[in-house]
Amino acid sequence: MSEPESGTTDGTGPTAAVETNTADLNGTNSDLAVHLDGITKRFPGVVANDDVDLRVERGTVHALLGENGAGKTTLMNVLYGLYRPDEGRVVIDGEERAFDSPRDAIDAGIGMIHQHFMLVDPMTVAENIALGNEPTKWFGMAVDRDRIDREIRDLCDRYGFEVDPDATVEDVSVGVQQRVEILKALFRGADVLILDEPTAVLTPQEVEGLYDVLEELTDQGKTIIFITHKLEEATHAADAITVLRDGVSVGTVDPDRTDREALAERMVGREVILEADSDPVETGDTVLSTRDVTVEDDRGVEVVSGIDLDVRAGEILGIAGVDGNGQAELIEAITGLRIPDEGTIDYAGDDITAWSRRRRIENGMAYIPEDRQKRGLVMPFDLVENGVLGSQRSGRFASGGRIDWPGVRDHAEEIIETYDVRPPDANAAAQSFSGGNQQKFIVGREFERDPSLVVATHPTRGVDIGSTEFIHDRLLELRREGVAVLLVSSNLDEIQSLSDRLAVMYEGEFIDVTEPDAVTEEELGLRMAGQRPAGEADGQPNPGESR
Amino acid sequence: MRDRLESIAERLARASVVDRLVISLAALVTAVLIGGVLVFVSGAFASCRTGLEMGGATFCYNPMQVYYELFLGALGHPLEGGWTLTNYSLATTLQRTTLLIFSGLSVAVAFRAGLLNIGTQGQLVVGGLATAVTVVYAAAVVPSGFIGTVVLIPLGVLAGALAGGVYGAVPGALKAYADANEVITTIMLNIIAVGITSTLLSWQFQDPNSPNPQTAPVPEYAEIPTVPVVGFGGRMDFSLLALAFAVALMIGIAWLFARTSFGYELRTSGIQPGAAAYGGVDEKRMTVASMTLSGALGGIGGAFWVLMVHGRWIENVPSLGFDGIAVSVLAGNSPIGVGAAAFLFGIFDSGGNAIGTATDVPPELVGILTGLIILFVAMPEFFRMLGRRYVTVDSASPARTDGGDAGANDGGDADA
Repeated sequence: MSEPESGTTDGTGPTAAVETNTADLNGTNSDLAVHLDGITKRFPGVVANDDVDLRVERGTVHALLGENGAGKTTLMNVLYGLYRPDEGRVVIDGEERAFDSPRDAIDAGIGMIHQHFMLVDPMTVAENIALGNEPTKWFGMAVDRDRIDREIRDLCDRYGFEVDPDATVEDVSVGVQQRVEILKALFRGADVLILDEPTAVLTPQEVEGLYDVLEELTDQGKTIIFITHKLEEATHAADAITVLRDGVSVGTVDPDRTDREALAERMVGREVILEADSDPVETGDTVLSTRDVTVEDDRGVEVVSGIDLDVRAGEILGIAGVDGNGQAELIEAITGLRIPDEGTIDYAGDDITAWSRRRRIENGMAYIPEDRQKRGLVMPFDLVENGVLGSQRSGRFASGGRIDWPGVRDHAEEIIETYDVRPPDANAAAQSFSGGNQQKFIVGREFERDPSLVVATHPTRGVDIGSTEFIHDRLLELRREGVAVLLVSSNLDEIQSLSDRLAVMYEGEFIDVTEPDAVTEEELGLRMAGQRPAGEADGQPNPGESR
Repeated sequence: MRDRLESIAERLARASVVDRLVISLAALVTAVLIGGVLVFVSGAFASCRTGLEMGGATFCYNPMQVYYELFLGALGHPLEGGWTLTNYSLATTLQRTTLLIFSGLSVAVAFRAGLLNIGTQGQLVVGGLATAVTVVYAAAVVPSGFIGTVVLIPLGVLAGALAGGVYGAVPGALKAYADANEVITTIMLNIIAVGITSTLLSWQFQDPNSPNPQTAPVPEYAEIPTVPVVGFGGRMDFSLLALAFAVALMIGIAWLFARTSFGYELRTSGIQPGAAAYGGVDEKRMTVASMTLSGALGGIGGAFWVLMVHGRWIENVPSLGFDGIAVSVLAGNSPIGVGAAAFLFGIFDSGGNAIGTATDVPPELVGILTGLIILFVAMPEFFRMLGRRYVTVDSASPARTDGGDAGANDGGDADA
């Protein structure tokens, strides 16, 4: 089975790609920490996992790579005891197990760190780690805090974590919170750690830190499985990569003996162009401009401090930054969901500061919201009803107060087809779709509004490679047609390759505005962490003037 | 345990229409059985001459007879000889049904917009008085007879709708612009409605020819006319025309929800306010608009209570508005379901009277029986609403495909 070299750009397709280690793996079964054998999991109308094999060697980092809907999370939920497989065996340390609940899986030494952390924010790190598993003293009458502290310090020492057990969770950074989650699993005696999209919430520096943690853990004999749809992470951090596509395993590869293009092709099932092509286009008039916009959040704290920005027709202005530095509030002020406390917003020549959200939509402002499940979709509505959200009073879909439902249905089905929403069922409730497919539908609805301005926040968050490529292409196409685009993303690759100009936001201000090619990813990461570029110490730069 | 509860909540939240019907039927049967046992046992503590002797005790009440009266008595005993469709018992049932459709719709409209309007009662009280006063005063300038009927009835209903609408708009505006919880304000406004109407009555509108607190009667031609030939004639206080109007309104509201921009925005606001704001719905205006519509429907209920039942406004208004809450919950806030639930309540009301006439069972026990049935039938629906809130908030969803991050976290905190 094992072929000598990687590459697979020779057109033989992904199925002919390299199968590494299979001989090893077959030979020494006892060294497998986890062996999933022929797992099949069906849901009504769909086979999420179809006869999937996964062999994870002890003391390695194993990446589970695939697009949204490929069945990665389902497979891990089977391993973690959340689902029972319809067929197949779960073998841990050479022993076949059947888990009825996560509790069984934890007892078998499996820990899972979810994408969204399950921490109690006002409690301390130590309390969170011990929660539900507290060692007790006085015959179970009291929690043995000393022992908790001692054990946590031991764990931190052993794995080189710098975590203060007495800090409150809400006061520590996201990267540290993730470490707390890992510690929580270790505290419960986990030998195998499953990480679900662990880098989604981290800055580049924090991602590096995570890689170090993973290395330290595997050095100490722990086994890591991490779920990702990002190629770089898989190739960078993993010792072996298993690729899932449409619920089927398309092989396990050695990252040192393959390249990104080959992996992407294997994942998507066709050739993928990874770099979005963003040749500069003639820019037109200024479509959106803000002057001195200051916004307070719900608690009355000033989170956006005097932002000036200009976006011209045919240009993409990117705003990079770690989540929570005021991007969300700035965007809400621009799109009409929040009233700025100071400053003015001009759009296509009108002062729209006091305009209602509806009026902004009617005047061609498309908006891909950050929170798709709270804002972008009405979760219990089907996709037909969601297809008209925002246009329910527009002349295109309504007349005389009545909605033209057959027209809306056609529109929704068009979006589903064009943007490859799966499963292609317009009658299914939005909540029954996976996050990536929900996102594709929102992007489709907003792009097909015939906008003059697109405000896109994290447009490809949680979206698979194939669809990301398509969304990027559509975004660039809109830009070529003269649409102004304001792009907010914490994905540096995305924002660097798409933006014509790039602003970095930190604590409510623009730290820097540059051409995306003029900075390295490291420099960007530092600016996202608040370090101003040399020579621009005072005043904040205005992206409107920087050209 | 918690896993179990979660899965039950989720299953309820996702139950199909057929599931829900089966659940409701099963609940009905269970309630009837439990109520039957209760009636039977209670019989041992009552005194009577004839009863079932068993184990030294005399069981006075026959549950079979009680249920026979409750359900068939409400229809005028169709299985017995000499039955006509247009009997007095059925008229009472349908009169009640008609009025509860209005108040049920009123509550349902607000619920669907995410607002708990407990104030239908007050809106109905105010609307009813406005109707009576308007018709009494307008009758002085409008010719009597057929023209009077055609002018005064729509005018009266309109007056009731306007007054109820304004009275509903008040808590709506308080909610929208002063952030006052509508549950509290509507409850308070119910009390205020009683005070206002009572004051107005004694100040201006009291019928001088009557010692009872009530307005002067509307002219007979301004009462809702009965349908000739088939209609429930005489003094039955019920008109098929009123029922037809209620059913038409019911269908109209269902159509409003399903087909119009306003209905779409209203439902979106009720389910997910964040998405409604994103979609360009003005939250404050929607709150006022839906409360106004809700109040108007309550006011129409008051108008029909005046024009169909008493021919005047009397101070002691029955709790039609509060019953409307139960009707709406039972109907799952669906406009069409309101019709069925209102009919069930109508049966209880009229059947309760029949039990009182035919048996010695005290009215309190009848209240317990009907209460049990409502409780059992409404509970699954109530838990479903709760469950849906829970499931939506936590965005747990069964993986239709693998769940990127929408479906990935369901039950993920089960061990936390």
